[in-house]
Amino acid sequence: MTLWKALLGLGGVALVQMLLGQHAPAVAERCDLFAVYTVYIALTRPPRTAVVLGSVAGLVQDSLTGVVLGLNGFKKTLLAYLTGALGSLFMFNQPVPRFGILFAAAFFDPVASLLLSLAMGQQHSFPAFGDLALRGLANGVIGLVTFWVAARVP
Amino acid sequence: MPRVVSHRKPSLLLFLLLSLHLILMASSVRGVRGGSLLEDTLLTLFSPFLRGASGVSSGFASTWHHYVGLRGVEEENRRLRARIGTLTLEAREAEEARREADRLRTLLDLKDTAHPSSIAARVIARGGAGSARTILVDRGSNAGVAPQQAVITPRGAVGRVVEAAPGVAKVLSLVDSNSGVAAIVQRTRVQGVLVGEGETTCRLEFVSDEAPVEVGDVVVTSGLDGIFPKGILLGVISEVGEAQGLTRYVQVRPEVDPHRLEEVLVLRAAAAGTEAPPPTTATGDQP
Repeated sequence: MTLWKALLGLGGVALVQMLLGQHAPAVAERCDLFAVYTVYIALTRPPRTAVVLGSVAGLVQDSLTGVVLGLNGFKKTLLAYLTGALGSLFMFNQPVPRFGILFAAAFFDPVASLLLSLAMGQQHSFPAFGDLALRGLANGVIGLVTFWVAARVP
Repeated sequence: MPRVVSHRKPSLLLFLLLSLHLILMASSVRGVRGGSLLEDTLLTLFSPFLRGASGVSSGFASTWHHYVGLRGVEEENRRLRARIGTLTLEAREAEEARREADRLRTLLDLKDTAHPSSIAARVIARGGAGSARTILVDRGSNAGVAPQQAVITPRGAVGRVVEAAPGVAKVLSLVDSNSGVAAIVQRTRVQGVLVGEGETTCRLEFVSDEAPVEVGDVVVTSGLDGIFPKGILLGVISEVGEAQGLTRYVQVRPEVDPHRLEEVLVLRAAAAGTEAPPPTTATGDQP
């Protein structure tokens, strides 16, 4: 996969996330396609490229969502790095472990937000466990579909 | 251990990127009061992408809504076309009913004013073999129709009854070759007998070669035959020939076209011989 394809994929992710936000807000709230993208990149690209692309994906998400600029950039950069590090230690070429790391990525996001908010002296509310489980489930399913489709795209 | 080396390399990059994001966050938080330069710069950098994504999103949504709307329009179009067809048919029927009502009103006026004892009838068939020109009407002997009764319309004479069955009667048209009606030229009072020529015209017989007749003169019934009342319009002279002995050929074009007749009045015997009202000069539908 070339860099251009990765950037094209990022554009597609941003577009779909925007469309979901406009036409299906309930679904968009439970799907973090940027996190799925970051995990996918981290497991399929070299670590440096994955970290950069994760950082860019986070910035794009910041721009689209209107939150504090750099918040998602920070989280996705860290997510790309940690996923890449885990990918070098364990085998993630099967659906079950892939689902597991995608599911975990859904939990990583609010934890990182909580830590950052605490560090910056901002108030932050942690989402309910049920909501997080739903997000993890959605991330896992979408991520597995993404891996399956990407493996068949020339 | 290339894998380890490759993992150590992004550490510096990671540190730089995380620092950059922390600066961005700090700048953004501080800039809430009045906006930060970094935020503005990044937003400016990303604005083309955002505009493009927004355009694609809007286009997608617009296309989707238009598609859904067009499906509704197609259904509405089909329904309206069907409605137009129905209304067109109804309009034609209404127009036909209006024309018929006009004809019947004119006929009724004639019946009420000049021939109160006449019988209104509807033409149901036309016959023609050789030079014979007849029409069938839907009133017969049970309605009081009898042979040798005059048949007229508001525009003029049609012919006379030659046969009357209980529910139908046969009318001999003026243009039939066996038809003969006592006539008079309205302008000069020249008399003659109007005889059918079997097609669309008649000829006025027994007109002296010195009689003052011209093309365009109006010919009406004289009432001398005891069938038609006096003064009913028969037709207009369309041709005056050269003298043939003591008489001359005078062609008359009947005012009433038997091929376009729909309703007529049959005059009872009592009505014959009385003065007829001036003929209608309407130029609309042939009654």
